[in-house]
Amino acid sequence: MAGAGNRVLAGADRALDLLRSLPRLSLGNLKSNPKAFQQSKRGRGRYGGNKHGAGNKGSGQRQNFMRLGYETGNNPFYLRVPKEPYYKGHHLRREYPPISLLQLQTLIDTGRLDTSKPVDLVALCNTKIFLLSPIEKQFGFQLTDEGLDKFKGKVNIEVQHASEQVIAAIERNGGVITTAFYDPPSLLAMRDPIKFFASGIPIPKRQMPPEDAIEYYTDPKNRGYLADPDLIALERFKLAQKYGYELPDLKKDPELAMLLERKDPRQIFFGLSPGWVINMKDKKIFEPDDEKLQEYYKS
Amino acid sequence: MTSLIGSMISSLGVALKYRSLIGTANQASKVVALFSPEWTTVRFRYHADKVAKGPVQRRYGYEEKLFRGGLLPRTAYPDKPLPMPVYRPKNSWNEKRALFGQNDYIDILGPSNEISKKTLHPAQLLYNVPSWLRGVKGNEYQILLRKRKFLQQKNFPLSSPTKWATLNVRIKKLYKYLNTKTKSPFWKHA
Amino acid sequence: MAVKIINKTVTDFSLRVTRCFFVPTKTIHSNVALFQDNLDTSLTSIEVNRSPLPIISSRKLAFPPKFKVPRQVWVSNMDTVEEEKLGLIDLHPEVFADRPRMDIIHENVRWQQLYRHVSYAHTKMRYEVRGGGRKPRPQKGSGRSRHGSIRSPIWVGGGIVHGPRSPTSYFYMLGFNARLNGLRSTLSAKLAQDDLQVVDSLDIPTDDPKYLETLIEERGWGPSVLFVDDNDIMPLNITAASDGFGHFNLMPVYGLNVYSMLKHSTLVLTLAAVERIEERILFHLNRNDAAQAASKYRLDNF
Repeated sequence: MAGAGNRVLAGADRALDLLRSLPRLSLGNLKSNPKAFQQSKRGRGRYGGNKHGAGNKGSGQRQNFMRLGYETGNNPFYLRVPKEPYYKGHHLRREYPPISLLQLQTLIDTGRLDTSKPVDLVALCNTKIFLLSPIEKQFGFQLTDEGLDKFKGKVNIEVQHASEQVIAAIERNGGVITTAFYDPPSLLAMRDPIKFFASGIPIPKRQMPPEDAIEYYTDPKNRGYLADPDLIALERFKLAQKYGYELPDLKKDPELAMLLERKDPRQIFFGLSPGWVINMKDKKIFEPDDEKLQEYYKS
Repeated sequence: MTSLIGSMISSLGVALKYRSLIGTANQASKVVALFSPEWTTVRFRYHADKVAKGPVQRRYGYEEKLFRGGLLPRTAYPDKPLPMPVYRPKNSWNEKRALFGQNDYIDILGPSNEISKKTLHPAQLLYNVPSWLRGVKGNEYQILLRKRKFLQQKNFPLSSPTKWATLNVRIKKLYKYLNTKTKSPFWKHA
Repeated sequence: MAVKIINKTVTDFSLRVTRCFFVPTKTIHSNVALFQDNLDTSLTSIEVNRSPLPIISSRKLAFPPKFKVPRQVWVSNMDTVEEEKLGLIDLHPEVFADRPRMDIIHENVRWQQLYRHVSYAHTKMRYEVRGGGRKPRPQKGSGRSRHGSIRSPIWVGGGIVHGPRSPTSYFYMLGFNARLNGLRSTLSAKLAQDDLQVVDSLDIPTDDPKYLETLIEERGWGPSVLFVDDNDIMPLNITAASDGFGHFNLMPVYGLNVYSMLKHSTLVLTLAAVERIEERILFHLNRNDAAQAASKYRLDNF
């Protein structure tokens, strides 16, 4: 077997070869590494029979500590120093976990992302590399500029936040970027679509962004999904001028249809409308029939 | 002559310590040294040596025909059997032991759901323990709280009122003990 | 007998099915001479008509290994007592030639023994022992020691301090990857020690226990043998033949585990079982959501 020939045996092969000349491995001769399951010595009595780490005599042994921060009568530190509320209102802020352009390029190179289709939050979550937690106020991903010069992918990508140079890096390669807002119920459906479909709940209608986010998502400079498309075209040109690259002509692109694909502002899955119920087992889609429902889910 | 005396001395089993001889002319002192040696008898009698030698040989050549392992065990009550279990070897290949561990890796080797890719989990299949204890680990208080949570939804309080009452008493006592007499891990390093 | 077989062969489902057609087949066997013409001769006669050997010569490996050399193993038959080599197949080195980590195998066996264990040892606390409310004797004047209750822990028959409290669960979940590696290590060790045999199927021509015993004796398959097939409804003949022996056991692939592999001296896999084991283990080694699958055990996960 492994010992045949003049091959030098090393690693697993050597171990397996060694096993051939040893007695049969069985429940009787099985052994772990030394000290792997060593038990600590048993102390006697309720407190293990000693001073249980509290020292001898005094406030240490009796554990009558002063209250936290008390400095035996001095003006305590926590009152001496003025408040600096850096994190005021942090529990209300939206968080956008970062994905760098370098990570995005690696995902494309290793085949975890299919760039022949538009890349959105569902595709990013399906790589199983990133976990989004809407419960912790995470509202989607932001693209960051790490690996900006190495990025060569041509993608139609939709993220929730992106800086100017990131937008330039995507567009320089002939790609398209959109920033879009999703409310937490939509994000919960998008982070694990199969689990969501199995729950039998109709696909929710995407809500409009909150007041403080409307400005961002209607700005053509940010490629917001609510911005005017004509202004976006203008901004694409302006950005190319600013960063000094030649904007590839989208109209001559063979993948034009894919690059132009976009979601409706009320839609959360490509190809599926809000209000539909998806049955994965029977491979069926149920659409709402009722007029009131249709009115509600209409964009 | 010296060798003769030496051999005599050694055959006696004693250690002999010679005085140092200085010069060859001092023959008289040499003779004195030989005939008045400084004796130190060494007599080690260790118990371990005695035990290792075995029993003292008596009646050499006689072969003992009786069992010498001591008397058989007995109790003060001759009519009662000895408090010694009857040796009943276990059948290590009965069905339970032969198939011990079956399905423990069902989440790896078992079929997964085509859509959700989920499999059965071995902790779900612990049918030998009550459902409220399945896949659970904890101290007495945690286990009893879980038991109460599960059993209060069943008919347990009505069907076994005494057991239900003692369960609640125990939980109450443990609650008091843990909250008033012990320190929580938070306080451990305070 | 049928009921016993059922329990052995694995699930309730398979048992029920076995029960349905166990009895009729039995009667056919006793009347073999009468129905000789109508019977499928391959089952009753030892002579086997087989296409020229080797029948199985190659096998395509999923996730072909880049650096490791596949292991080769003989495929033998079960339909004659003498071993006939039907062919040679490749086994995936990631599954069958992994490093045999003894410590991982040990922690797997330890987990298998402990995670199902519940100790029901129980002692009563002072307050739970009956009686003891009355002061046994006056505090002063008797010339004896002071006591307040006959159920105090220092009394014989009193309560027990720090005693075991029922039920004590020893449950813990070994990590997913530790268990996956446990299977790989054990299969590799078994193969390296020639204790893993591959057969084409578990079909034997008769339900005579003597046949199975001599077959195993002839091939030197150790005192105890674990037969593993992909299907959980085992062939009738081997089920009946192995039923009387505690140490010849049948198991479907999903029931396979480290403890059983080590308890039995020889592991006999069918070709289908080899395919299935490789497919499952390679799937878990290469799945893209491995981090999620290997996430920490939580009670509310299922």
